[in-house]
Amino acid sequence: MRAITVRYTGNQLLQYGVAILLAVIFFFPVVWMFLTSLKPAGEIYAWPPHFFPQAPTIINYFRVFTQSLLGRYILNSMIVSSFSAVAVIVLASMAAYGIARIGFRGSSLVLVVFIGLAMFPQLAIVPSIFTWFRDLGLINTYVGIVIAYVGLFTPIALWILTVYFRTIPSDLEESARIDGCGMLRMISHIILPVSIPGVVTAALIVIIQTWNEFFLALVILSRNHLRTATVGIALYPGEYAFPWDLITTATFMAILPIFFLTLVFQRRIIGGLTAGAIR
Amino acid sequence: MLRLRTFLVGLMVVFVGTFAFAAGEQEVEEVDLQIGIAPREVGDTFPEKIAEFEEQNPQVNVDWLEVPGVPGEQKSLYVTNLVGASDEPDIMALDVIWPGEFIANNWTIPLNDYFTDEELADFNPALLDAATVNGEVHAIPYYQNAIHFFYRRDLLDDYGLDVPTTWAELEEKADIILEGEDDPDMVGYSSMWAEIEGLFMNYLQFLWGAGGQIVDDAGNIVIDTPEGEQALEQMVGMLERGTAPDSLLTYDPNDAQTVFRQGRTPFLVVQGFVWDLLTADDSPVADVVEMGSVPVFDGVDPETTPRHATGAWMFAINPHSEHPDEAAELIRYLTTEENQVRLAIETGNLPPRVGMEDHEELLAEKPIAEQQFKNFNLGNVRPSMEAGEDYSELSSIMQRYIHGALLGEMEVDEALQSAQEEADALLGQ
Amino acid sequence: MTQSKRRRLHAMLLVVPALAIVLAVLLFPTINTARISLTDFSLTDTGPFEFVGLENYRRALGIGEFHSAIRTTIVFTVVGVLFQGLFGLMLAMFLNKAMKMRGLLRATILFPWALPTALNAIIWRWMYSADFGVFNFLLLRFGLIDSRINWLGTPDMAMASMIFVAVWKTSSFMALIILTGLQTVPGDLYEAARIDGASKWQQFKRITFPLITPAFILALLLRSMDAFRAFELPFALTDGGPARATQTMALYGYRQLFDFLNFDVGSTVAVTQFVMLLALGLLYIWLLRRRERTL
Repeated sequence: MRAITVRYTGNQLLQYGVAILLAVIFFFPVVWMFLTSLKPAGEIYAWPPHFFPQAPTIINYFRVFTQSLLGRYILNSMIVSSFSAVAVIVLASMAAYGIARIGFRGSSLVLVVFIGLAMFPQLAIVPSIFTWFRDLGLINTYVGIVIAYVGLFTPIALWILTVYFRTIPSDLEESARIDGCGMLRMISHIILPVSIPGVVTAALIVIIQTWNEFFLALVILSRNHLRTATVGIALYPGEYAFPWDLITTATFMAILPIFFLTLVFQRRIIGGLTAGAIR
Repeated sequence: MLRLRTFLVGLMVVFVGTFAFAAGEQEVEEVDLQIGIAPREVGDTFPEKIAEFEEQNPQVNVDWLEVPGVPGEQKSLYVTNLVGASDEPDIMALDVIWPGEFIANNWTIPLNDYFTDEELADFNPALLDAATVNGEVHAIPYYQNAIHFFYRRDLLDDYGLDVPTTWAELEEKADIILEGEDDPDMVGYSSMWAEIEGLFMNYLQFLWGAGGQIVDDAGNIVIDTPEGEQALEQMVGMLERGTAPDSLLTYDPNDAQTVFRQGRTPFLVVQGFVWDLLTADDSPVADVVEMGSVPVFDGVDPETTPRHATGAWMFAINPHSEHPDEAAELIRYLTTEENQVRLAIETGNLPPRVGMEDHEELLAEKPIAEQQFKNFNLGNVRPSMEAGEDYSELSSIMQRYIHGALLGEMEVDEALQSAQEEADALLGQ
Repeated sequence: MTQSKRRRLHAMLLVVPALAIVLAVLLFPTINTARISLTDFSLTDTGPFEFVGLENYRRALGIGEFHSAIRTTIVFTVVGVLFQGLFGLMLAMFLNKAMKMRGLLRATILFPWALPTALNAIIWRWMYSADFGVFNFLLLRFGLIDSRINWLGTPDMAMASMIFVAVWKTSSFMALIILTGLQTVPGDLYEAARIDGASKWQQFKRITFPLITPAFILALLLRSMDAFRAFELPFALTDGGPARATQTMALYGYRQLFDFLNFDVGSTVAVTQFVMLLALGLLYIWLLRRRERTL
């Protein structure tokens, strides 16, 4: 009896050990960046370097907002991400309802088409998108980037919502239909309220994806004031220099929202990411 | 009673004033100008200069478009707007290597109608040439810079050495110093040899220092030349012989100057902007750093051979601008001698004008300018006019093969031959 | 029209807006890019542009840098996904076991996935720096190396470093997908195997692996498609260097398009990448199908 207990704890200790090791490996880059952001520029390049800041300072956090456009970049990211997410959810929930709750001849084929299109590489669309958006005056506009993102990320949201809608019991709609409820009303008043978890999941994944998107944001938004955080910070390096004090600080600020979102909603996000992996 | 009258009179004054103001508004047409330049290039006082201009020209509102500090990104912003026939920005700050491409694509307008020949004659002719096609000048220089040579006076003195003037001497002296210091963290030479434009500048400066040229008399780009081979062999040799560290191949200018600043190398070749960083209060090498001319090869005269790769930022006007006259006025204002000297004192970016070598105020404020001007006079521009719209691609080809040879991926002659072939195909020469 | 027919029609109408924008942003541009690649299109001219057949493809395939970009992309995809699969599998097995700390672990491994690739690349660039980076600092401090490793300075090392970042970032996603497969494996199967005296490895080979194969192949598919499109990782980590050793097709295409304004060649690179990606996707689908048939 005793021996078993010991072995069990030993095993568990090992598991804890591995878990902690994993946490260290996965969080180390962010921790290092945070430590760097607390060092004044002089110390970052000190020789020999220090692992921990000798004189921790938050001066970089002031400088990054006053001497760079970080605040503006983050605002841009928020605008682009939230508008894209709302538009994607509206379009995707309509389509998902049509496919999952009613269905029509070829509806599963349509779903396959969406998924297939989602695999299209950005490089293939960029030459045309750039040329067309230029002709339409959509380069360097929020509208342009949001249109592109809605096209890019509707398929994944559609997939998540379709899987979710299929789990909703059908008697809910039956009674509503008898009451003469129209289809759009049905979606907004009956389906969406009971699908909040699925909608939140889809919205979160779209927000994270748009926040992180790089290629199209780089091409469509070339004005400094319109850059999203990801692109704006990646382009901090100037003609001569990598100002690492500012870069590390800005990076830390830009991933903070994402970090909290994943921390709080990890279960949902994982559910969404793996939806349909088992069919 | 009196109070009421005062009130009424006051009221009338306000009314009349408002009408007069409104009428005045209608008479003078407001002009909105936008100028694109990266913040880090112009110092903190650029808004002041804009405000002064607006004060002198009340009908003009100037909007500063803060373009990205990465030249490539800045260029793609301009290009994005230009190919969309946008009038934003009215004035574009151009790297000296861009006008060839911009002029070839009709992305600039000739400025001869706005600037007299006398005015133009005040600017560094080599820089004007880099923006001139068929006698028409398309861009006005705002400031100039160059690659310079920096060394540690204290280390040279400790070992009783002179400032090296040839590459062989530099290697020899670096060896003596490294041996004497016996510090595993020290390297003999630091510069920017990452796969960037700075690498091409570096190579050119070796090439020119060997007495070679990259443009022949017929205006063709010539890469596979004996001097080219000598230049690249020297660079490869410095890595092989250990004068330069392998990590040099990842250095950008900031890495290069940081190593020097940390006291880990006696010699540095990089742009002039590092001077303020190296001599700042918190710099450990502030009192011992000096600036000289870039070394040359044996048998080449260091006093007369132009070899410092020069750079500059210039102003050009967007052909879609609705207000070229006002735009030209703003350029004229920013590029007056007075304002360029101010800029130099504020940022260390020197006036691209002739006869500045003995500008007393400037030299008093920035004594180092004397050496910089000396190097400018021993300077050379990159072949951006010859390559025209293909310059960035030419530079990219050069960077790739130079880096390939430095990494030992290919032999020097092989690299130059291949680069020549690709350049020929690109330029159709 | 019957009630149900009308409902079906409405259902189709509901799909139209989503389908329209997805087609407009993904399908039509891709077709148009293919069209551009067959002409002498130039961004700086107004046209009309001439049809030049496969001339751009002939030109592009004659450029050494393009060949090297294709090679880089394939190496990055194959080697990278191999390691991601391996670590993903190990990670998933561990997650499946370690019930107690699942919450903490889930947050831990989800984090790399949620991190923007471009910013992640920047962080690693900072850590890899030969002279100022933390890796060399720590390795030197603990005496594990004598001289600094030039992590991003030589072609092979830079490729290995880049693959390492990709493995760090995406193994966890792989693990999550594989985990869903693992959780479908009924526990009593192992019980039976144990009674039969099967070793751990035999259990894994005979029970676990066959059952998670579909999820595993799906994870490999998703990751390969992503790796094949890699753009911001080389863009922000190495800028494609040294000597273009880490320049992927996406980065090369971007350079042709926006650094050199060669829209004809750039589109050709894009279409080439697209066709190869399509072939890759079909290969995986064929694998999945074959798997289903043999079961």
